[in-house]
Amino acid sequence: MKFTRMLRRMIMLLAASALLLGLPAAATAYASSATSGTGWIRLAHLSPNTPAVDVYLYSFGNSNAEIVLHHVAYGTVSPYEAVSAGDYSVAMRASGASPSSQPVLSTSVTIQAGHAYTVAGMGPESGLRLAVLDDDLSTPSGKSLVRVIEASLKDQSVSVSFGSQVLSSKLAFGTASSYFTVTPGTETVKVTANGGDANSTVTLGAGTVHTLVVLDGANGLEIVNLEDAAGAGDVPAGAAATGFGGTAPHGPSSPVPWLVVIGAGSLLALTGGLRLRRRPQPGI
Amino acid sequence: MPTRRSAAALALAAGLAVVGGGTAGLLLTRHPSAAIHPPAVGLDALPAPTGPIVAPPQSADPRPVAAPVSLTIPVIGVDAKMITLGLAANGTLHVPSTTTVVGWYTGSPRPGAIGSAIIVGHVDSHKGIGVFFRLITLQRGDRVYVRRADGTLVVFRVTSVRTYLKNHFPSESVYGPTPDAELRLITCGGTFDSTTGHYLSNIVVYATEVS
Repeated sequence: MKFTRMLRRMIMLLAASALLLGLPAAATAYASSATSGTGWIRLAHLSPNTPAVDVYLYSFGNSNAEIVLHHVAYGTVSPYEAVSAGDYSVAMRASGASPSSQPVLSTSVTIQAGHAYTVAGMGPESGLRLAVLDDDLSTPSGKSLVRVIEASLKDQSVSVSFGSQVLSSKLAFGTASSYFTVTPGTETVKVTANGGDANSTVTLGAGTVHTLVVLDGANGLEIVNLEDAAGAGDVPAGAAATGFGGTAPHGPSSPVPWLVVIGAGSLLALTGGLRLRRRPQPGI
Repeated sequence: MPTRRSAAALALAAGLAVVGGGTAGLLLTRHPSAAIHPPAVGLDALPAPTGPIVAPPQSADPRPVAAPVSLTIPVIGVDAKMITLGLAANGTLHVPSTTTVVGWYTGSPRPGAIGSAIIVGHVDSHKGIGVFFRLITLQRGDRVYVRRADGTLVVFRVTSVRTYLKNHFPSESVYGPTPDAELRLITCGGTFDSTTGHYLSNIVVYATEVS
């Protein structure tokens, strides 16, 4: 029948248009490359009665030093150096000693990618040791982190506060405290010790990590404020909307309006077709 | 009745015509439009800027540094004014209102100070390319220059270029503290979702100050 043929044709047409609706392939190739594979290390001399030294950093199994710092005196802290992750050894020699001479002290350190370390000569000369400190690189949003290293031989222990917050109580000579989370701001750092007190005004910014080092100064104690790391104070929420799409290949526009048109047309044709199909009634 | 029959025939014909037109429309709009190819003008490599270059900061003596005023990436032809940006009410980064400048987030360290300075720029506008259109083509070792208000230059070298899906954005590695002076150059990339009007990914270039 004519009408059935037409209906069949119409259904085929609708089916064909439905096939064309196939969504653009949604799979996005997303290859996250490995981390750049570097960590950071800095070297420090924090032993009050030890003369200046030369400090060497060797990649494990390599006799050529990667970094050499000459004539490092008490109180010196080097900047961080970025190095490939891996095993290293740190050696200290008397200042000016031959690089091939036996080191006074050495220690091994494993540097992990994305981590930072301080390797410091600590303690009295008679008991000098190389301490490997893990340096924190994360702060709670809007806060700062601070720790204390007691490197004054004048006192066997010190107590340190930042404003009203006590950072460490009776921290022993030659040791480092753990990190404390503090509210950022400018406050007085107060060091209390048997041999005398010391004050210093210190600003700790939001998103920063600091180390306060208590040193023997020419007169009394000295407070050195190291800025270990810094990031965004208020960490932005997630990603950034930095494009409007003007150069992007645009996907096909929505098919819905066209489908509505096709649907309405089909309905109209169907109605017309049904009417035509009815046998004409004899006129009254 | 002939009038009835002809009305029905008309409806049938009109309906079929509408179906035909709708199908044609549907077929014609199923083809995606091609990507815009950038004009060569303005994207040629630029000479490196000149000026007094400052040394990287020391953790034992963190001196305050001057505010950034412009960004130059010679290899991809970027030489753009740097504006300042804050956070929107919902905590996300504001972005520059034009696509020809870059913005430094004032809540992050200044470029050349210890820490990671956050700089964002648009990849494109509604019609054409933006300042960071070629950011994704940067390679390890490429140089990035920031001019500061006191006329000094800070030089960085690219250490890696990453693409992150926005719903898996690693805030800690991008915005978190670093112990040396670094940059994070951020723009959009990946697939463009025309329903939301946003790209699905961010491109992040990591760079470290050259000593």
